[in-house]
Amino acid sequence: MAGWMGRKQRNHDLDDEIAAHMAMAERDLGSRAAARRDFGNEALVKEVTRSMWGFGSVERLWQDLRYGARSLRKSPGFTAVVVLTLALGIGANSAIYSVMRAALAPLRIPQAERVVMVSSANAQRGWHQFPVSIPDYRDWQASGVFSGLAAFDDTNRNLRLNDRAERVSGVRVTRELFDSIGVHARLGRDLTAADYQAAAEPVAILSDGLWRARFGADPTVINRRVVIDGAPSTIVGVLPREFPKIGKDPLYTPLVFPVDQISDRGTRHFGVVGRLADGVSLEAARARLKDVSIRLEKQAPASNTGLRAEVDLLEDAYQQDARAITTVLVGAVGFVLLIACANIASLVLARGSARTREMTIRAALGAGGWRLARQLLTENLLLALLGGAAAIAPAWGAIQFIAGFKMEELPNPENIVLDWRVLVFNLVLSLMTGILVGLAPAWQVRRLRVADSLKAAGRSLSGSLHQRLRSGLVIAEIALTLVLLVGAGLMIRTFMRLRASYPGYQAANVITMRVALADRQYGDPQHQAAFFAEVLNRVRALSAVTNAAAIDELPGTDTIHATGLRFPDRPEVRPEDVPLALTNSVSGAYFEAMRIPLLRGRYLTDANVQSKPQVAVIDDWTAKRHWPNQDPVGRFFKTGGATPPVQVVGIVGNVDPGIVVTVLKGRMAQVYFPAAQRPRPAMALVVRTAADPAAAGVAVGDIVRQVDRDQPVFEVRTMDAVRAASSAPQQLTTFLLGGFAVVALLLAVIGIYGVVAYSVGRRTREFGIRMSLGAQPGDVITLVVRGGLRLTALGIILGLSGAVGLTRLLDSLLYGVKATDPGTFGVAAAVLGSAALIAGWAPARRATRIDPVIALKDE
Amino acid sequence: MPTAMANRYQDRIELLQGTLDMLVLQTLQWGPQHGYGIGAAIRAKSGELLKVETGSLYPALHRLERQGWVKSEWKLSEAGQRAKYYRLTLAGKKQLASEADRWSQLTRAIAGIMSPTVEES
Repeated sequence: MAGWMGRKQRNHDLDDEIAAHMAMAERDLGSRAAARRDFGNEALVKEVTRSMWGFGSVERLWQDLRYGARSLRKSPGFTAVVVLTLALGIGANSAIYSVMRAALAPLRIPQAERVVMVSSANAQRGWHQFPVSIPDYRDWQASGVFSGLAAFDDTNRNLRLNDRAERVSGVRVTRELFDSIGVHARLGRDLTAADYQAAAEPVAILSDGLWRARFGADPTVINRRVVIDGAPSTIVGVLPREFPKIGKDPLYTPLVFPVDQISDRGTRHFGVVGRLADGVSLEAARARLKDVSIRLEKQAPASNTGLRAEVDLLEDAYQQDARAITTVLVGAVGFVLLIACANIASLVLARGSARTREMTIRAALGAGGWRLARQLLTENLLLALLGGAAAIAPAWGAIQFIAGFKMEELPNPENIVLDWRVLVFNLVLSLMTGILVGLAPAWQVRRLRVADSLKAAGRSLSGSLHQRLRSGLVIAEIALTLVLLVGAGLMIRTFMRLRASYPGYQAANVITMRVALADRQYGDPQHQAAFFAEVLNRVRALSAVTNAAAIDELPGTDTIHATGLRFPDRPEVRPEDVPLALTNSVSGAYFEAMRIPLLRGRYLTDANVQSKPQVAVIDDWTAKRHWPNQDPVGRFFKTGGATPPVQVVGIVGNVDPGIVVTVLKGRMAQVYFPAAQRPRPAMALVVRTAADPAAAGVAVGDIVRQVDRDQPVFEVRTMDAVRAASSAPQQLTTFLLGGFAVVALLLAVIGIYGVVAYSVGRRTREFGIRMSLGAQPGDVITLVVRGGLRLTALGIILGLSGAVGLTRLLDSLLYGVKATDPGTFGVAAAVLGSAALIAGWAPARRATRIDPVIALKDE
Repeated sequence: MPTAMANRYQDRIELLQGTLDMLVLQTLQWGPQHGYGIGAAIRAKSGELLKVETGSLYPALHRLERQGWVKSEWKLSEAGQRAKYYRLTLAGKKQLASEADRWSQLTRAIAGIMSPTVEES
């Protein structure tokens, strides 16, 4: 059987054969005309002869594709809308799923299901995944359930290569870590017992990310000398990429427990990771550690009452952070895909019933049911392929957009690639929808009477079933769109609240940067305070600088320091009732630099040094909350049990601590201490400049380097950027939900338009009659629009009930607005209603332009 | 119903197809021949009674070739013209024999009905 290449050849062959026949006939009959008459219809003969050849299945498929392509070309509107719909739906879905796969990627370590994370938990105190103390760690190690248990802590280190000092993430680990995880250094070696001896040379191991980012993936990095926190050190190994991330691209150094903490069960500082021993299941480990914990409770009631060991798979610990956000996004994008499929189904159904006539004619000419179905299937296949191809660009674009947010919860942004498997899956999904729905017209044809259908068109039974189906689809679409609109509305309001609310300070023209002093070089707190004082002095001398100050943690960042507040002149309260306060250490004229107003008393000055009495400044909320009917200025409070009392010297305006804190812990008191009295090794410099903050930032960095070249500056950002970063998760979700909602709205409008237009088309005769009987255009429009609105109303009601249930999922992201905020619901319904009105308008107007005479004639 | 109609159409063709195929194969028994020649031979042998339409002949020839009962070849005719000649294959010979057999059975049967031998007692 000749393939399609051979087909051309065979056609030529047949032409030649017929030509030869003609020549002979001409010779015998005398004239060409006579020969032709004798032959008959040449083209028809060739056609019938060709049909005898039979086709290979490839050829048949090719024919179907070509026919399908031609058919699609003839209805460009339909094709364009379907392809666009598919592109958006598949593209968005693929992007989100690809992001999820990267975020929830399983750990690629040997037998990842045996590697666990162990943490402290105390139900009574509400502790969950708390750090671990050294004695507890040792006891768990001795319990026998682990083949290896390692402790680690993450600190940040100052790494100096040549002359450039940078701040890097650092993890100190005990020796068991590499065996427990089961992944060893790729270059060089792991840490060995020798590295933990007292007199050992300092060594460090690089993570893969650090190696690539700071060392340019240089293979000769082994045995290179660097300076870590001011001490010379040697790099001895590089870990492979699979090693689970602790912190961001860290430097690994040996962890030697500080002598004073070895027996201190109350100081909980370390993370613990280990591998279950062979034959020990997760449940068994949990049970055994519970026994150990109970024993320790009796042994050390002061520190361990209510304390339990929490054992979780390391994998789960990683995935938890990403889950909240991805759940919402997956839901949203799933909706969009559903709406897209509904739209496509609706369009294909409409087109199908319009082609009933064509189908019946083809059936009458001898095409079997299968042949017709195959034709329709091929067309849908073509549409799906086109849509899938068109989806790649938006999917890729969406992924770049999301990865650009560089969020904590979505680690490895470089791992977020367009997963072709997801793309294919989505393609198959839309293909199946198209197939299922596209088969409907072919199915109808089997039961159709040729004669009936060839008569006045559009009167076939299939019409009303299709109409009902399509209406149902549109109602569903509208419901889904409403949910998305509500979700997007809530997020937009949250976002606006976050951004617009006055944070309590003026962020413009302020540049910030962090400096973290190495513990090794600045162990003495006075030394720390002196460093920052010196830096600030020099910075103030710069001409562009209006004000310079420092604070331990900038407002709106994720890191907070908190302590309990006690009042010496009031009765003791139970430990669980002690109120918490956020504490800050400030140096220099912080409040002036940030333009935080003074409400009473005075600001802190540099005169508040270590030797003088302890003072602090509180914010307005704290004043009203803890000294309700008194003037707090001059009064005292205490933070720890043994610390001296602190006198309140001033009250300043409230500063917004940031959404993370507010949502998780509720509003807390804020107190500010002078850095001279409570020094901190790591602070953020806050510099207000007259003009361009970025340029000043460079100058300040230089000054820090002059004071001590081993201490890097990092996170150089304007205060505006700091504030914006704190709402990054909300921003991303808002953009995405908003985008989806818009897409869904567009699709819903198209869907409504399609259904209304189709119904108008079918009722042309009816409208013609009405108008000839005296109906005004306005009446017809009302009729049409009413139908569309009825659908919309049903959809909105359905959607509202769905939204009430589903927006609960957004709770953790909302700020200042309830998940069931009636205003947002109302606005969303109104928007959808108006969109539906507009969608129905065009076909309605077209209905009025029907010429009754033409309509009453047969089509 | 479309399918029923199609069947009837098929039936009609089948009847004709079977007979035409047999006639073509029989003609080719006398040696390879081109389409024009086959048509002329059938007309001549049937005493000008059977004129095979080209619209039936050529499809039949191509169908026979597809079924493997004839084989085609481009050759020069007696008049020096290039034409596509068809000849019987071995399978075609067998097919012809069986069809001829069936035809005589059919004619005997029909003859039996149309002019029955009256048994005079």
